[in-house]
Amino acid sequence: MDDRDLITYAQQGDRQAFTELVCRHQGSIVSLTYRMCGDLRLAEDAAQEAFVRVWQNLNSYKPKYAFRSWLYRIATNAALDSLRRERPTAELDSLSLADLGTTPEQSVEENQRAAHVRRAIAQLSEPLRVVLILREYQELTYQEIADTLDIPVGTVMSRLNTARVQLRHELLVLSEET
Amino acid sequence: MNPHLSELLPAYHDGELTSNRQRQVEKHLQDCPTCRAELKALEELSSLLKADFVPDPTPPERFAAQVQLRLPRASLSRTHQREGQPPRWVLGVPLALIIVWAFLQAALTVTAFILTTDQVLGQPVAFFDSWIPTEGLFQTIASLLIFNTILLMGTTILWSAWMALWLAWNKNQNESSIKGGVT
Repeated sequence: MDDRDLITYAQQGDRQAFTELVCRHQGSIVSLTYRMCGDLRLAEDAAQEAFVRVWQNLNSYKPKYAFRSWLYRIATNAALDSLRRERPTAELDSLSLADLGTTPEQSVEENQRAAHVRRAIAQLSEPLRVVLILREYQELTYQEIADTLDIPVGTVMSRLNTARVQLRHELLVLSEET
Repeated sequence: MNPHLSELLPAYHDGELTSNRQRQVEKHLQDCPTCRAELKALEELSSLLKADFVPDPTPPERFAAQVQLRLPRASLSRTHQREGQPPRWVLGVPLALIIVWAFLQAALTVTAFILTTDQVLGQPVAFFDSWIPTEGLFQTIASLLIFNTILLMGTTILWSAWMALWLAWNKNQNESSIKGGVT
């Protein structure tokens, strides 16, 4: 059964179909919200909130649009809301490396490099960060990013270029600091 | 002079160029060390970003169960039905029209009863003299019927106008699409 069938069933009130949708997309959505938030607990909370919003608005979803774009858009907004709620006054660059989390599989050096990357991403403005994440991690095409964020493809390209330039600069600064 | 293709390199790196443009960039890259270095920098940045893995998330089944717990308590169909319905005031106005119509209809019936009784008893009521003929039973009943018809027609016209507005609103709601629910 493909996503479209599951959505149709879920729109009629089938909770099992909705659960199947959640299981299918959980990985990509948590990955997206994790890249946005830089913290797994926050990311999973935002992902769950995104799925609740999907459930509440299933009737407004039109099959002519890609479900993934619709879902990513809701998840992006949920992640941003979550970040604003959790850290309303904190400056992103004040986050310590420990805050940004590490994985046991990575070596100390890799962990430090990964933390640098997350910190550099966190320093990007929201519009730049979202476009960069959707392209680099979620591997969406320019058109899919444009559909997801409801912006022109040209804006996607310019934001992506700016994000990459700023990210390289931030990474250079961070590597010089350590 | 070898003009650089810096503006095309990100799209080339992302696989977003048309085949013609792609060939153009590939040809250019063979002769331009500056653009090759620029492309390499883009590739290194992507590799660096992708080297950072997402920690193991909650297993899908458990995650889905947690989502279920956060869903509104009302059954899905009822929740969706409520979302598909118009605001209460949209239904409230026709309801108010019915109540007003029923009240006026009742008042008219009582008036008719009093007048016709008075006519039968031969005691016209002065209060009604100015707006309903009270001198003949047939004339009185005819006037009351005209009043009644005007009242019914007025209510029907108002009701129809309101239903037309509601249908237009409903159509508009159905056309709202991908933006729905997104903050």
